[in-house]
Amino acid sequence: PVTHSWLATAMECRVLSIQSHVVRGYVGNKSASFPLQVLGFEVDSINSVQFSNHTGYSHWKGQVLTADELHVLYEGIKLNNVHQYDYVLTGYTRDTSFLEMVVDIVQELKRANPNLVYVCDPVLGDHGSMYVPQNLYPVYKNKVVPVADIITPNQFEAELLTGKNISTEKDAVEVMDLLHAMGPDTVVITSSDLPSRLGDRFLVSLGSQRHVRPDGSRTTQRVRIEVPKVDAVFVGTGDLFAAMLLAWTHHYPNDLKTACEKTFSVMHHVIQRTISYAHELAGPGRRPSPPQLELRMVQSKADIEDPAIVTEATVIS
Amino acid sequence: MECRVLSIQSHVVRGYVGNKSATFPLQVLGFEVDSINSVQFSNHTGYAHWKGQVLTAEELNVLYEGIKLNKVNHYDYILTGYSRDTSFLEMVVDIIQELKKANPSLVYVCDPVMGDQGAMYVPENLLPIYRDKVVPLADILTPNQFEAELLTGRKINTEDDAFKVSVMDLLHKMGPETVVLTSTDLPSKHGDQFLVALGSQKIVKPDGTSTSQKICMDIPKVDAVFVGTGDLFAALLLAWTHHHPKDLKAACEKTVSVMHHVIKRTITYANEMAGPGKRPSPAQLELRMVQSKADIENPAIVIEAKVLESSH
Repeated sequence: PVTHSWLATAMECRVLSIQSHVVRGYVGNKSASFPLQVLGFEVDSINSVQFSNHTGYSHWKGQVLTADELHVLYEGIKLNNVHQYDYVLTGYTRDTSFLEMVVDIVQELKRANPNLVYVCDPVLGDHGSMYVPQNLYPVYKNKVVPVADIITPNQFEAELLTGKNISTEKDAVEVMDLLHAMGPDTVVITSSDLPSRLGDRFLVSLGSQRHVRPDGSRTTQRVRIEVPKVDAVFVGTGDLFAAMLLAWTHHYPNDLKTACEKTFSVMHHVIQRTISYAHELAGPGRRPSPPQLELRMVQSKADIEDPAIVTEATVIS
Repeated sequence: MECRVLSIQSHVVRGYVGNKSATFPLQVLGFEVDSINSVQFSNHTGYAHWKGQVLTAEELNVLYEGIKLNKVNHYDYILTGYSRDTSFLEMVVDIIQELKKANPSLVYVCDPVMGDQGAMYVPENLLPIYRDKVVPLADILTPNQFEAELLTGRKINTEDDAFKVSVMDLLHKMGPETVVLTSTDLPSKHGDQFLVALGSQKIVKPDGTSTSQKICMDIPKVDAVFVGTGDLFAALLLAWTHHHPKDLKAACEKTVSVMHHVIKRTITYANEMAGPGKRPSPAQLELRMVQSKADIENPAIVIEAKVLESSH
């Protein structure tokens, strides 16, 4: 096996991930923890819920963590003086008081470590409609995004947060600049309806990263990625994406192009493996079921560790 | 490999005990791990402070119901460890019985956590549940000496006690075909820097007669208190007996060797963090789990198990 520089030295990098836990399958913390651990990150995880499985199955059962219980767990960490984190990672939340407690925690952790990077997937909805309670929107817009350093909205979420529609790449660039102005230096629009120059079997993702030069002037690197479409509904891919973007921006903090190429490539390998297996299990002519479509996470370890680049990012002006 | 484990153990936000200790190594070795978190605590209870919430027996049942309703309650292995609650443990027993009906080949790996060094550190009323309900369902059991003595009502003063007065055979008779005494006070031939671990696996031969493979290991002692090592041990034994189902010697050598690598890496790092002449803290002694990935995947064998005379 080849040893890569990012694997050879023991990395001391601790992530606090506050996401869902499912007994079976790969969403939330189940989707984020293994890949980050495989890449050498220490992952502390607060499970915001514990469900049997994700809510796309016919049935799901379980329990949720209240904002107060979240606070109690954080207090335990703090009392032991181990509340030093390099990253915080959050995703899907349904509860405004929970989200507000997350913001309080992030703010306190940033005081403890001013270099902390908060990677936030502002999960609000997709394809034109919200799938979380509407009252989460002002909390994301006014409190969460302003403390985020990296955000991974889809097109709908980017439009919702900025109040601006995206019909062209120029619109997307303006929306990303508006998002920068709200707080985060790194924005990746994970998917959009923009036409791909490779045809309609591809979707367009865009990224933008703002840097401050030593002389104080600002520069922005913008990239476009053409991502092959897959004819299936996956759950947990957004969570995996945010975790992998955390990892690859950590290794390439000033090179969004490379960070995105690695992240989107890992996604591609995991999704390909998953869809092949799902079709095998379902049988010819049958649509795979949610259990069959669970990400082939542990089987994708080698791709997670060292993704072959299969999606190229183009630097755009 | 298509192998699915249901692990019902604690979750800690920070550190490596319970499911945090068991899940990563099993996933790294290619097992699908479904995990039910019996508690969610900030960290293990050896720190100065700890805070969190526990799952009730009813909540456990609700989670299992969700899995069952989706008809995905098929497992190759179940793994359990530290429990403090009798009703929770009894619910675990019900779930295992049902899962064994769904898959009669299911292997239940059980760490019967009750205490150590002569004292119980769980409520006393867990003993009859382990003895009468849990252990009879177990296929692989990883008691320490104290737990083996508690379960059988016999003391182990010599290696003969373990094998000839048949504490191991008594444990086999209670249910599990594979028993590993993870640590004992028995004197090691290598001196007092070593502890003795013993293993016994009943094998049914093609002609129907049964035999057992008995092994002995001398394991270097480490001058530190680790938490989560028992959970890691049980998970690794699950993995390596899966790959060596009829070769307890090989399974134990790999398991114990991984333990050795992880512990060494952990104690080195902990001493570095603490500084010269200082005893490392619980936070500093957390297992260096993610850093030990290569050892977990492909352990260099550093401890050899000796096969003792087979018996019938």
